[in-house]
Amino acid sequence: MDWLEEELKQALARKEPGAGFDARVRARLHRRPPQWLAVAAAIVVTIGAGEAWQQYRGRVVKEQVMTAMRIAGSKLSRVQAQMKVSEQ
Amino acid sequence: MIGLTAVRQALDFGELMREHRAMVFSVLWHFLHDRDLAEELAQDVFLSLHKNLNTIETAAHAGFWLRKVAVQRAIDAARKRNRRPQVSLEEVAEPSVRPAAGDPMLGEMLRRLIATLPEGPRMAMILRYQEDMDPAEIAETMGIPLGTVKSHIQRSLGLLREKLERRGVGER
Repeated sequence: MDWLEEELKQALARKEPGAGFDARVRARLHRRPPQWLAVAAAIVVTIGAGEAWQQYRGRVVKEQVMTAMRIAGSKLSRVQAQMKVSEQ
Repeated sequence: MIGLTAVRQALDFGELMREHRAMVFSVLWHFLHDRDLAEELAQDVFLSLHKNLNTIETAAHAGFWLRKVAVQRAIDAARKRNRRPQVSLEEVAEPSVRPAAGDPMLGEMLRRLIATLPEGPRMAMILRYQEDMDPAEIAETMGIPLGTVKSHIQRSLGLLREKLERRGVGER
């Protein structure tokens, strides 16, 4: 290693950050999330819940329609069977 | 159980911070030549470590991880500021008295000259002379070929030598 490299090692030796560095990092670790983040989270949850409710309501209505169609279908079959009997 | 894990992590994190803060801060400071920005980014690096602590296996792994993240943050910050060196190599002030080897003034002149190098050579020089890393380790940390690292170091040394000689600074 020549003189320039020795000088570079000295010039670029590690230095400590300012006093209280660790405390500043810890303070940032425990900082509460900003209020807008809480508001945004509440909006996302509300929209998500609304969407889930709509989907649930849709499923219930679909099941009701299917049940009604099944009932109507069975009644129609019964009427057709009775008509056949009366024709004979 | 969760509480104990959290306490253990906090203790380990404290030790890691004490052991590596000078390395992280110095990589950033020597690269950016801006003490306040270097400290803020060094804090970011440790916050990132805390978030990823469960992926760190050993103290040596933590050192490697921190160095790599510090290098990346330094390069990103320099690009974000959209600036090449703050001062060009020609603009580095000529001292009124010629600094001699071992003189603190020479140290400052060298740090300023290093700060004028382009990103790649600058980081290679910092890792070589601050961290005492060999070219293969530098290549791995920076994610560039070994030949490029060697070329960065040789060319930078040549450039610095030339600039110093022009300023009347040389081997005694």
